[in-house]
Amino acid sequence: MKTTLRIIAFLFFGVFTLQVYAHHAFTAEFDRNAPINITGKVVKVEWINPHAWVHVEVEDESGKTVWMVEGGTPNTLIRNGITKKTLVPGTTIIVRGYQSKGKLCLPRCIANGRDVTFPDGSKVFMGSSGTGAPRDGADPREPNRE
Amino acid sequence: MNSLKTIFLFSLVVTTSSLEAEQIMKTWFGDPDLQGTWTNASLTTLERPDNFKSLVVTKEEANVAASYAAEFTEVIDNPYEEGESPKAGENVGGYNTAWMDPGTQLFKINGEYRSSILIYPDNGRLPRKWTSWGMEAPSLYRMFTQANHPEQRSLGERCLVGFGSSGGPPMLNVLYNNHYQIVQSPGYVLILVEMVHDARIIRLEGTSLPDHIRPWLGDSIGHWEGNTLVVKTKNHHLQQRFRAAIRHQILMTENAEVTERFTRISEDEILYEFSVDDDLAYKDLWSGEMPLRKAEGKIYEYACHEGNYSMANILAGAREEERRNQ
Repeated sequence: MKTTLRIIAFLFFGVFTLQVYAHHAFTAEFDRNAPINITGKVVKVEWINPHAWVHVEVEDESGKTVWMVEGGTPNTLIRNGITKKTLVPGTTIIVRGYQSKGKLCLPRCIANGRDVTFPDGSKVFMGSSGTGAPRDGADPREPNRE
Repeated sequence: MNSLKTIFLFSLVVTTSSLEAEQIMKTWFGDPDLQGTWTNASLTTLERPDNFKSLVVTKEEANVAASYAAEFTEVIDNPYEEGESPKAGENVGGYNTAWMDPGTQLFKINGEYRSSILIYPDNGRLPRKWTSWGMEAPSLYRMFTQANHPEQRSLGERCLVGFGSSGGPPMLNVLYNNHYQIVQSPGYVLILVEMVHDARIIRLEGTSLPDHIRPWLGDSIGHWEGNTLVVKTKNHHLQQRFRAAIRHQILMTENAEVTERFTRISEDEILYEFSVDDDLAYKDLWSGEMPLRKAEGKIYEYACHEGNYSMANILAGAREEERRNQ
């Protein structure tokens, strides 16, 4: 019995922890069989902690569609200088990710931003270093924000 | 057990000597001043990764760890080539790392880089009783597979408490929102935890609540030992038994008792030490330490319910799956 429980615990918690890496389970919300690749203009940003939602208007031959793209905490962005003044309506972004499992698009289509970038190369969303944590100079690549 | 006591005594001597008595900041009512906004964001995790063989690591090893972390984030920020689209069937993923705040380097204590928060057991691993952990699996499986109504989902998804042990005790770092605000008044210390807006009120020299009252984040009673705030917490909420994040997974049963020590060691740092005693889930005590560093600015208001479109999406997703399976 003990051995069985150990095996169950090891297998279960190993898989489980891969799923629990954020405030909620993405696999429960988004459809891995519904990938998206959209380019559109930001129409609104909901700066809500822990989930900012970026509303993007996409125009194609079938007309205009507004997507709500889920992002993480605005806290980190603001600490890195990304504010309401820099991520403004009209900004073009590319979103590559997955649509929600519910696809009624009422009132908006919903997607997660597996990869969100600006096409002008500004790399605002690329935060590989200098993520807002206090610095002690150990990482020479930390950007100087002075 | 003796080694554990030795470690605590040693660290107490070290920390008190690092800030001269006349420099210790006081509140207007005379208590040592711990107030401010603090963060424990760091690459150092609760348990020691296999690639580290000791608690203290060299600056070179710490730099390598920082470089690996930076390279890893580059990779996950750039999952596709330019113009390439995501493929059906892949993991839906999470956020760009710019949304996260996991820290960029290992933390230092007394000028030494640390490979784990755990300082006891010596191997940097939790002394788990796997049989107790295995017993938790069925309820956790249900929590992350059922979606008939919100109450079946996890506490984090329901905006009740943060995932992992962000709010503690013990307070452990996660991938983002690692901020805490400490506010003191005569007889009380309040710790506001950014994730998810939890406020732990520590009653100084108070008495514990009856055992059947189990608040979120437990029942905390504190007292001062010199310039160190010592907090003992028990009566942990039964729904907070299992606390999981990608950086740590801990089990805290109804028997768990946590002792924390907060010592202001400089203008910019609090040394945070803790010890967990839970004989149902662990074969031994476990203890750790990490710095809480002064954070710039204020904590961004947490408005979990207001922005929680996710709960509706999760429930809608479950209905869609039911429809497909009919």
